[in-house]
Amino acid sequence: MSKIQQLSFFGTLGFLICGMLSASFPTQFAKAQTGAVGSTSFPSTIRVAIRENNASGEPDSRGRIIYVSNVNFDQYCRDVLPNEWFPNWNQSSLEAGAIAVKMFAWFHHLHPVTIDGFTFDVDNTVNFQTYRAESDQPTTDQAYYSTRNLAFVKTDSEILELNYRAGYENNPNWQYRNAGIMAQWGSEYWATQGRTPVQILEFYYMGRMIRTIPGVGRG
Amino acid sequence: MKQSYVQKLIRKRFAAYIVVLTLLPFSTCSAATHSASDTKAPYSKYDPVMIGKGYGNLRVKVIDGRTQKPLEGAEIVVLETERRYKTDVNGLTPWIKAPVIRSSRYRFLVNELHGQLTLISYKNGYRDSIHMGVRMNEGAVNKTTIWQYQIAPGLDRRIEPVVYIEPYHRLWLIQLADRFRRPSQLGEGYERP
Repeated sequence: MSKIQQLSFFGTLGFLICGMLSASFPTQFAKAQTGAVGSTSFPSTIRVAIRENNASGEPDSRGRIIYVSNVNFDQYCRDVLPNEWFPNWNQSSLEAGAIAVKMFAWFHHLHPVTIDGFTFDVDNTVNFQTYRAESDQPTTDQAYYSTRNLAFVKTDSEILELNYRAGYENNPNWQYRNAGIMAQWGSEYWATQGRTPVQILEFYYMGRMIRTIPGVGRG
Repeated sequence: MKQSYVQKLIRKRFAAYIVVLTLLPFSTCSAATHSASDTKAPYSKYDPVMIGKGYGNLRVKVIDGRTQKPLEGAEIVVLETERRYKTDVNGLTPWIKAPVIRSSRYRFLVNELHGQLTLISYKNGYRDSIHMGVRMNEGAVNKTTIWQYQIAPGLDRRIEPVVYIEPYHRLWLIQLADRFRRPSQLGEGYERP
């Protein structure tokens, strides 16, 4: 390979690397800017895509999107929690669940999607979180409002999608901790063992931390 | 003087008639009272809750399905206890001590995580609303909302009840599917992270 060929090869390589970096850096930078507690405002509404019901009258996770509903963010979280957690579970489990439901919704509020011509943050099925209007319960409402000012985030305050799955009853569900996903039955197990909501979250989401959301109250 | 057989028979019959005539007004009166109480509260003494079963506290809210505003004066019937409750100006019933009844179909296989109740809401000028599968747990405070739809003259040609079936909680459905899954027929597989 001649000197000119070498120069043009390394020049092209350098150009490509610079291009890739310039393409990726601003995006990451913008994401960190828009997705951190303190620099991004607490959502007031969330866009919920309502999918068509199946034959037995329940929302079909593979059904067509009928419309997108603008729902008050607090109301959305309150109408999700009793459908994801059990309203008669221990308060610590419900509070851990309330934070997870809120952070999941907040993350998707910052990362909307467009499907079939509809732009939305979440839908009303298990594709995101099970949402049923007017289904909030007194115990889950209490859990939501007592943790409304708390966020569970990365150490640099970046907002995360806190995922959770059912897990197994009467079991700490260690495999879920390894996967970085909260087990709902596990949260109830730890609550019966006297763990606090923050301890439950720290058990399943390692390397994350609790933060107070500036300007957000419990009411 | 000895009484003849005929005289004895007449005296016995007479005594029997006296007794019957004396008791008859009381018996009709008590029947009338019973039917009156039935009209007022037909099933007030009926309570189907089995021993060992618990209760939860339930409050029902009735709203207009189109305007989303509360409906006052709707009558809610809890089918399992056959008791009736009226909604107030905020569309709310009083707190109801309602039984937690789990379906016996699954009792020995997978314990249902919540009981279920059926409610019917009636209001003049509105379609009847049947609300099935209201979730109940022992000692827990539960609330539910019933949507009722106003009958529009001319538009509603065929007026029938509206039904809403509340689904089972997803956590229980996951347990149910896992309970009967065969290792050789995994399907979507066991619950996992």
